[in-house]
This record gives sequence, C-alpha cells and structure tokens, in this order.
Amino acid sequence: MEDMVHRYFSLWISFFNNSLTRDLEFKANFIGGLLVDIIYYGIQFFFFSIIYSYVDAIGVFTREDVMIFLVITFLADTFYMFFFSGNLFNLNRWMVRGDLDYFLLKPMNSQFMVSFRYVKSYALVSVVILLIMLTTLVSAYSAPIGFINVIAFVFSFLMGTILWYGVDFIISSSCFWFKNFSVSGWLSHEILKFSTRPDSIYTGLLRKMLLSMIPMILIASIPTRTLLYGPDVRYLLWQFFIAIFFFLLTRIIWKKGLIRYESASS
Amino acid sequence: MKAWIDKYFSVIRMTWIQALEYKANAIVGTFAIFSGLAIEFLIWKQVFQAQGLTEIRGFTFNGLMAYIFLCMIVGQLKSSWATSMEMIDSIRTGEMNKYLIRPISFFTYHFMMFIGHNSLFYIVYSTVLILFPILLPGWAFPTLLHVLGFIMALLISIYLSYAIYFCMVCFAFWFGEVRALVIAYNISNIVLSGQIIPLRLFPDSVRNIINLTPLQFLVDFPVSIATANLPIKFWLPKMGIALSWCIVMTLAGRVIYKSGIRVYGGYGA
Repeated sequence: MEDMVHRYFSLWISFFNNSLTRDLEFKANFIGGLLVDIIYYGIQFFFFSIIYSYVDAIGVFTREDVMIFLVITFLADTFYMFFFSGNLFNLNRWMVRGDLDYFLLKPMNSQFMVSFRYVKSYALVSVVILLIMLTTLVSAYSAPIGFINVIAFVFSFLMGTILWYGVDFIISSSCFWFKNFSVSGWLSHEILKFSTRPDSIYTGLLRKMLLSMIPMILIASIPTRTLLYGPDVRYLLWQFFIAIFFFLLTRIIWKKGLIRYESASS
Repeated sequence: MKAWIDKYFSVIRMTWIQALEYKANAIVGTFAIFSGLAIEFLIWKQVFQAQGLTEIRGFTFNGLMAYIFLCMIVGQLKSSWATSMEMIDSIRTGEMNKYLIRPISFFTYHFMMFIGHNSLFYIVYSTVLILFPILLPGWAFPTLLHVLGFIMALLISIYLSYAIYFCMVCFAFWFGEVRALVIAYNISNIVLSGQIIPLRLFPDSVRNIINLTPLQFLVDFPVSIATANLPIKFWLPKMGIALSWCIVMTLAGRVIYKSGIRVYGGYGA
C-alpha cells in the first residue's frame, strides 16, 4: 500500500513537472490565466459589494463572513482547477477522438491517469495569493477563530474538493453514454454556481437537494461555517459520508463507462 | 449582392444543420438560464425580505426578476465567445490560410457561423420570450412597440458584441494564444454589462464609467426597452450611439485585422 502511494505520488510529480514545462512555453497565456483569476475574483467581490450595499446580512452571513466565504470559494475553485480541470474538461474530446486509448494503455490506474494527467500549474500562484488573503481576513475577523476550527476547516475543505471532483467526474463520464457530450464542462460550471452563493439563501427541498444529490452546499459553505462558527460534527460526518459515496460512485461509473467505450475515433 | 447573400446564407444553413445535431447545447443553455435565475431569485428575495423593502432604485421584486431573466437570455444570445475560441485556434494553428485563398471574409464567415450555431438558442428563447408576456402579463413587453424596440436593440447588441470579440481575437496574430484575454473579457462582461445585476443598481461612479463604453448596449439597453425601464424618447438617441459604437468597433476590427494579417506566418504555432 505504501509503495503504491509512493509510486502514484511520484507519477503525479512527473505530471506536474511536464505540465509546468508546457504551460511556461506559452508565457502570455500563463500570465493571462492569472489575470483571468484576478478579474473573476474582483467581479465576485464587486457583485457581493452591491448586494451588501442594500442588506446587512444574508441569513447568518454578514459582509465580513461573505468576504471569507468568497475567498474559500475561490480557493476551492482554484484547487479544483489545479488538479482536475485540465483533465476532466477534455474527457469528452479524448473519447470522441479515440485519444483515450493512450490513457488506457498506460500501466497504471486509468481513472488516476484521466483525472491527474494535466496540472494547471499557474493555479499554484493563485492558491498562494488566496491563502495569504484568507489568513489576513481570518486574523482580522471580529471574533477569535480557534485552532480546532482551522483543523476542522482543512478536513471539510478537502471533503468538499473530493465531492466536487466526484460530481464533475460523473458529469464528464456521461460522454460514454451520450457518445458526444461536449457541453459537459458548461453543465458542470452551471451546477457549480450553486456553491458560489452562501447556503443560507437555500431553503426547503432545494436545500435538501444541495446537501445530498447535488451536494454544492458542502463544497464551500460548510467549510466556511466550520471555520467561522466552529465544527458541527453532524455536518462534517455527513460531508465525509457524501464524499466517500460520490468517490465510490465515480469508480463504478468509470468501470461501467469503460465497458461501453468502443475505442474508435469519429 | 445576391451572390454575397447566397454565399453567406449557405454558411448559416450549414452551421444550423450542425447545431440541430447538438440539441444538448440548447438544453444546457436553458438550464443555465433557469438555474442562474433561481440563484438570483433566492439572493434578492433575502435582500428584499431582510430589509423589508418594496423596491430598490425603482425595481420592485417582480420587476427585478423579469429584468434579470431577460438579461440572462440576451446575455446568452449575444455571447460569441465559443466562435471566438475557434477563430483564435484557426489563427494559431495556421488553419486560417483557407480564408485567405478563398473569396471569403474571415469576419463575415465567422459571424454567419456564430448566427448558425446560435440558431437553436434563437428558437428556444424566442418561444420563451413569446410566452413571457402571456404567462407573466405586465412584467415586460407592455406594447408591440416595445417588442419591436427590443428586437432592434437585440440585433445591435449581437452585432456589437461580435465586433468587440473580433477585435480581441485579432490580437492572436501577435500573441498566438489570447484565450485568456477573451475569457477575462467574458467574465467581466457578465457583470459590467448588467447581466446579473441591473446597471441602475451600480454605484454612480462605476455607472458613469460604464456609460462611456459600449458595454451598456450589450444587455442593459435591450432589456431596459423590453421592461419599459427606458422612456421611449431615449430609444432613438441611444440606438444612434449604439450604432456609432458598431461602426467604431467594426473599423477598429478592420484596422487590427489588416495589421495582423501582415505579421501572420500561416504555419501555425
């Protein structure tokens, strides 16, 4: 088991080095990627600054809380981009063109390969910037944030990332059934939008759905609540359970999808 | 002239047939509008309820929802970023050579392709727009004149949006890869053109800057006409300014394209 973990970790390091070399070949685009992130963050802050010019709090989230929520949302998005978006977004294209064959022929777990092969290296810079922003906002927060909150937040954040991977992987893998599902990235993006707003706006059946079937609330809102208001064991256990469930679902769907894969370019 | 129309109409027809094969685009597009509207509905509901407001800067809650709903439709109809990505690729990979050796305009050909690709959206959203005043009377399109004004402003918006994208695409002649520029514009455009928050709710300082740019004509202008938020006496002067922007952006695109084509290597990157 230890050997296997070490082997896959070494593989990922090789993927990262290779991706970094590729990304640096297009330096303008590398810098452009960073610029896009900064504009995206600025626009989201601007959106909420307008909303909060008309309201003091959205549910329990005050303006101060929402600023931290936004940074956590960006961090979740950037983490996801760094590891997975360069891969799952292209799964449909690889399948249609038959390029998936090359992934399947490699002597390693094929799901690992299609999930981690290309790393968006420029996202690393954004991660560092966002971590500095989060640390600054947390240290300036009006109430003290304990060490337990931070530990629980890290756990909750990782579960959120696994969950988002699970949802996106399932959507992307649907190309095995639809033959050509080029809009899967767009669909994922539209579903992810639900995670970019504080969970206190969701009530009733929609809230239940966003906590279970389409667990968008668990990606950024629950980690934010954990960090700001302290860990809620029920939420964290539920998040862990759902994350494991979705991860297992990706394994099943991937295996079923591969059985349907005809390996022909068209 | 007839040959010109026939030539480019065949491009629209060809891409229309292709678009009809990918119905999932229209389904996901419709989902995008309704999911986006649901999120906006929930946020603004909280704002109105929490503060006990009946209106914000002249918008009642229902009026605001009608405005945002139409904004999302217009925003999708005018967005040609997918076509822009194809154009950037064709410059970067050298595929653009085929436009240079044939009697086809790179600008017009892709504009027709954009219209053809979006044709499925036009059908779906036109149906939604026709049903809108029937299902929710009084929220938009109070008279036939407003329908006509909206269609005119929408056509201007679609062309102006494409012309702006074209200017950015042409920078690929120098930099090879300018996707980031187009994506950055696309993201900012979603908020700054009033697609998710009406421009009227922006701080005055920001609105004054936006009013100096063509962004106000992309979404806010057609939707303000449809929802009767813009008095009729302002329609023609505003349309005049919007058309002037169309001319400016078209000329700017031509100048950038002509300079770019001189440095184009034609071998790909």
